[in-house]
Amino acid sequence: MKIGSIRHVRGFDVARPLSIGAMLGIMLPLVLLPLLSIFVYGTSKGLGVFWSSLVAPEAIFALKLSMVTSFWATAFNVLFGLFAAYVLSRYNFWGRNAVIVTISLPTAIPTAVAGFALLLLWGKYGMIGHYLSEDQQIMFTPYAIILANVFVTFPLAFGVIKPVFDTMSRSLEEASATIGATRWQTFWHVTLPSLRGAIVSGALLTFARAVGEFGSTILVSGNLAGRTQTAPLYIFAKFNEGQIEAANAIAIVLALLSFVIFSVLFFARDWLEFETQEA
Amino acid sequence: MIAKMALAEKQSIHESWAPDREQTKGVAASVRGISKRFKKARVLEDVSFDVAEGESLVLLGASGSGKTTILRIIAGLEQPDTGEVILHGKDVTDMPARERGVGVIFQAYALFPRMTVEKNIAYGLKIRRRPRKERRETVDRLIKLVQLEAHRKKYPWQLSGGQQQRVAIARTLAYKPEVLLFDEPFGALDAQTRVHLRREIRALLRQVKVPSVFITHDQEEALELGDRIAVLNNGHLEQIGTPDEVYNHPETEYVATFLGAANLLLGVVAEGHVEIGTARFPAEKETARFREGQSVKLVFRPEDVCISQDANLPGNCRRLANGVIQEVNFVGAYERLSVRLDLTHRKGDTDALYQVTINTPQRMTGIPIMVTRPKPQANVTKYQAGDRVAIGLTSFSVLPNYTLVRQR
Repeated sequence: MKIGSIRHVRGFDVARPLSIGAMLGIMLPLVLLPLLSIFVYGTSKGLGVFWSSLVAPEAIFALKLSMVTSFWATAFNVLFGLFAAYVLSRYNFWGRNAVIVTISLPTAIPTAVAGFALLLLWGKYGMIGHYLSEDQQIMFTPYAIILANVFVTFPLAFGVIKPVFDTMSRSLEEASATIGATRWQTFWHVTLPSLRGAIVSGALLTFARAVGEFGSTILVSGNLAGRTQTAPLYIFAKFNEGQIEAANAIAIVLALLSFVIFSVLFFARDWLEFETQEA
Repeated sequence: MIAKMALAEKQSIHESWAPDREQTKGVAASVRGISKRFKKARVLEDVSFDVAEGESLVLLGASGSGKTTILRIIAGLEQPDTGEVILHGKDVTDMPARERGVGVIFQAYALFPRMTVEKNIAYGLKIRRRPRKERRETVDRLIKLVQLEAHRKKYPWQLSGGQQQRVAIARTLAYKPEVLLFDEPFGALDAQTRVHLRREIRALLRQVKVPSVFITHDQEEALELGDRIAVLNNGHLEQIGTPDEVYNHPETEYVATFLGAANLLLGVVAEGHVEIGTARFPAEKETARFREGQSVKLVFRPEDVCISQDANLPGNCRRLANGVIQEVNFVGAYERLSVRLDLTHRKGDTDALYQVTINTPQRMTGIPIMVTRPKPQANVTKYQAGDRVAIGLTSFSVLPNYTLVRQR
């Protein structure tokens, strides 16, 4: 029997269940099962164990540090991304494309390389670092984590906001100007509202990426428990110490957080697309 | 002597729209000697015109004629290389767009998508920090004026094209603009809405008495919307005048052919006549500004041609030549005929200045012209291909025949 002849059996498309099944069969062990296992394992010793690992001071500190550093990195990168997108889509200048490529570069750089590069610049014997006095050093402090997060998530907000700027009709801003608005009024009342969706999704993407950052953080933070240990570093440290439950509790929190962020992004897509369409 | 007469004739044509009338009515906006280049390309060349108070002026031109650039220069969105823009007696050439107080209705209306109809209209007053009460009153009045009472809380995307356009107009009227500028206002609409809307806008403008400048490439739109029409060609102002002046008395070949259909016949001036091949067309007044023997073009519209099977043409009709009906088409509102003028050199004729022969594949002689007749007339006398007819003109223009160099 030829393959072609089994495709349709009395109007029933055999290829449909076969291909759906194949897709799920590949996806399940690769993506869904690992995620499922952290939930299964994390709660296997009872919710009490899970809860006490969660509220351990070091764990709480790690989560808080992750949130705070990611928040500031996000705030900076959204504001800067907005500004950079404005400048790069409104003004044409020599080398503009080179700047756009450079801004997007951190996406392609391995995070460990990024962390290493930051160390070489800011570290005690680095290019800038060796001009700083002992108490001005920022490597191995929470500021270093923010710096690493900024570097690694640099292009994300920019990448979401820039296309919206590019497709936004110039005549909206021109209309605002002829009506009598200053540049700032135009930006505040006309441009910014049209960018709302892009800013929200850019911020969520940046935050999600920053919270999970490991490679660069472990190099620049020094991984000092209770001082510069972020949540992913905590997972790694506890796992190395053999405290699987402690690592697992935090892993669950991080996984849930990313689920939440991702669902907001996904289900708000209609709303976000609606925004960009109008702009 | 003749040159002087030609000059006098030219001046008298211009006086019909030049300063006198405008001074009495008051000039709302003037453009003086505007030139503009984009990189190497010349976009506008020494363009000047005035818009009188309460008047609507249409800038008519093909795409690339520079009409949008003029509009943007008046609005302050573009800077001219030379020349100045004057709004109500004030030189605003160096003023930024936001200080000029002009109202621009953009092609796609450019309504603010995140604001309701009300908020769009109130924007100009909000920017000017007017008190809330005044804002509300103005918005109420304008919403009533543009008949959008039922839509005041809607967002732009919930409105039809025509409604959006009315919001755009109301939004500019809110801050009492010096002048309204319409950038291809009906370009984005279908043909039926377009006709309907331009009548609406015309009525609205009569009501609000704001001087306005329209730009369009649609000649029908120009004739209907404009108190005056300025025809632009390649960044150059070809003619400006009332719809009647530019349509019935085009000053250049471009104007004649761009505004509606026109027949063009090449001829020479001879003793108060235009000689076209063997035909001598009497045009004493019209040829007065030309030299004897000067090469000219006789320009006339298809509807200004009268034809008759006997030699009796109506009284208001000057005889041009004889011809043969070549084709008869019924095209809805009127009948269109293609007629071949018999202008060739006949045996024994020696005094013709030159002869005209057209070599078509059929080796037919004579020059084809287009003639249209209104339905009632077409129903009374019917013509068939091959009928010989006498041909006369009720209205025509005689223009100098410049072939290569632009000379005016």
